[in-house]
Amino acid sequence: MAVVASRRRRVDPDPSFFALHRAIAPQLWGGAEWAALRTRALERFRALGIPTRRDESWKFTDVVRIVNRPMRPAEPRPLPFAEVRPYLLGGSEAVRLVFLDGRLVPEWSRTEGLPAGAIVESLADTARTRPEALARALEALDDGRAFTALNAAFLDGGAWIEIPEGVALAAPLQLLFLSAAREEAVMAHPRCILRVGRNAALTLLETHAGLGEGAVLANVVLQLALGEGARLDHDRIARAPRGHALLVKLDGSLGAGARYRQTTVVVGGALVRNEHEVRIEGPEAECLLSGVAMPRAGEQVDTLVRLHHCAGGSHSDQHFKSIVEDRGHHAFAGKIIVHRGALKTNAYQKNDNLLLGADAEVDTKPELEIYADDVKCSHGATCGELDASALFYLRARGLDPETARALLVYAFAEEVIARLTEPSARAFAERMLLERLGSDFVSPESELLAEAR
Amino acid sequence: MLLEIENLHASVEGKPILKGVSLAIAPGEVHAIMGPNGSGKSTLAFVLAGREGYEVTEGSIRFGDEDLLAMEPEERARAGLFLAMQYPVEIPGVGNLYFLRQALNAIRKARGLEEISAAEFMRKAREEARRLGIGEDLLKRDLNVGFSGGEKKRNEILQMALLEPRLAVLDETDSGLDIDALRTVAEGVNRMRRPDRAFLVITHYQRLLEYIVPDVVHVMVDGRIRRTGGPELARELEERGYEGFLGRLAA
Ligand SMILES: Nc1ncnc2c1ncn2[C@@H]1O[C@H](COP(=O)(O)OP(=O)(O)OP(=O)(O)O)[C@@H](O)[C@H]1O
Ligand SMILES: [Mg+2]
Repeated sequence: MAVVASRRRRVDPDPSFFALHRAIAPQLWGGAEWAALRTRALERFRALGIPTRRDESWKFTDVVRIVNRPMRPAEPRPLPFAEVRPYLLGGSEAVRLVFLDGRLVPEWSRTEGLPAGAIVESLADTARTRPEALARALEALDDGRAFTALNAAFLDGGAWIEIPEGVALAAPLQLLFLSAAREEAVMAHPRCILRVGRNAALTLLETHAGLGEGAVLANVVLQLALGEGARLDHDRIARAPRGHALLVKLDGSLGAGARYRQTTVVVGGALVRNEHEVRIEGPEAECLLSGVAMPRAGEQVDTLVRLHHCAGGSHSDQHFKSIVEDRGHHAFAGKIIVHRGALKTNAYQKNDNLLLGADAEVDTKPELEIYADDVKCSHGATCGELDASALFYLRARGLDPETARALLVYAFAEEVIARLTEPSARAFAERMLLERLGSDFVSPESELLAEAR
Repeated sequence: MLLEIENLHASVEGKPILKGVSLAIAPGEVHAIMGPNGSGKSTLAFVLAGREGYEVTEGSIRFGDEDLLAMEPEERARAGLFLAMQYPVEIPGVGNLYFLRQALNAIRKARGLEEISAAEFMRKAREEARRLGIGEDLLKRDLNVGFSGGEKKRNEILQMALLEPRLAVLDETDSGLDIDALRTVAEGVNRMRRPDRAFLVITHYQRLLEYIVPDVVHVMVDGRIRRTGGPELARELEERGYEGFLGRLAA
């Protein structure tokens, strides 16, 4: 029987999910139609089940062990400024939504100074002001993924963001998701829907940070839509303490001539999984995705990308890296799908992994599916250790081996970190990297900062 | 003696390469090593610098009053040993200037000196770079990345000039240099000649030794020093080639 069970692609969710839903769903915002939507989503979650490693897209990840157990939404608790402050990015003019355990914290959020027509509001408000639009958006995303359904089943905190046609937000918009560990296992399911209108532009800072060690699941869904000629610079930083699991599903679409640029830096966590499903729907669009993950012992980072070229003349470039220490694990699965008719597509993908120990684990699965003619596509993956001749060269010039190693790791990560568009996000990621490298290491960047003072 | 190599045997991947090298260099001297391809010159240089994978099976090396073979590569560098490599390594993501300053500070720290200030460092680096014909852009680029062969060699000499070693080993620093660059590099070396500093110059060409006039020339063949003499030995080699030279040795 045990053998049969392990061959199943999915297992039934723990009964506590359903008991909990019965208990708390009636207290969540919205009337009967929202309750019905949540219940439909719960049934979908029940039907989908929790994926096992038999499921192709969870092949490298034992998520059952992490999530299939009793968890509940965390009790609200105060959020002192000292806990928020380290993660405030984007400068004093930034528009900001701060979430604690999936719930919006108005106290530290800031929506002043928005240009006319721009909307930044909580989903509960959207449910009142634009119920049809919200329902449509939620139902439009049925990706056959259990955690997306689970997110809708417990739909509560989240935001609706709209940048109207032709508007460029001068200051960045930060979405800060904080998750605090409690005595018992807790979970949160925030959802954000963001629309960048025709020829509008935005810098988005998405920050995930865990407070304290413990069993936490943050199950986030982001829906992005870029209109024709829209431009979105998306800097993503995740810092997860021990025990935290962060699942982020990003669903995005790009209109004609849109430009989407995303850079992700991930440190820590029992599991940090970034899933992307991006569709280039209009011609001449550009999509640049890059990231660096730094899992160490007991940590796993998954990076999944499904990038669809549905229209011709578009360009996409992915460069994901990982730095994996002993008993750390990085799994990368990236697929480029060039659909019929997407002529003159350029699509590139690279996955480079640096293994810093004999027990560092990397799984990488780059894939290409091409159904159109006249396209330029390439993909590739590398796994390697630090270059011995480079290490020797640095040591032969007097650098101690720790510094030499740190410098080479730094250089490897810096290539990605340098792509973060917002300076404060870059400085933050830089500090995270330096923490990982150990306190003695002086980076070129911090040296420059010190000299500037 | 500054450097004393005695009966040095070394293997790479189990294969004996150096088969009993003895060599002594006094402070202030310039020694040259010539020898056919594959005779073990770079191997000797790497053994001196302490590269992993070069296994010393017999013999000893003293550097000043220290046992060089007991030291880690960085300890050797800090004690004043410098190796200008035949093939300098490209290191993407590490800025040339940043690297230079890190190296200089590591060595200064070991010598009990204070870290050099940014301004002082920049002044020195620019000054040396100018003398060696290294452009500002090269200083700002990643270490050796995309440098031409000649630029890499000049960059090695720049490092040497800033790190001020007691013994500099130059492994074919002249290869790949055009005639003007050769002179510039040789001048860079000659500027550094001092009574308390020595050089071990590995080269295939007599031309370099016309600029950097050696006190002693060694000929290495098949892992051994087969002959030692004055500068005239280099000229003899140039005229006769190794084959003629070896033939005579055999006779
Ligand atoms: N890593 C290695 N693995 C196997 N053999 C090696 C290795 N490094 C050097 N050797 C061998 O050792 C011998 C000496 O090489 P070395 O590089 O010291 O010669 P060299 O005198 O510097 O030659 P050149 O004038 O061409 O630079 C050669 O036969 C070479 O193939
Ligand atoms: Mg050689």
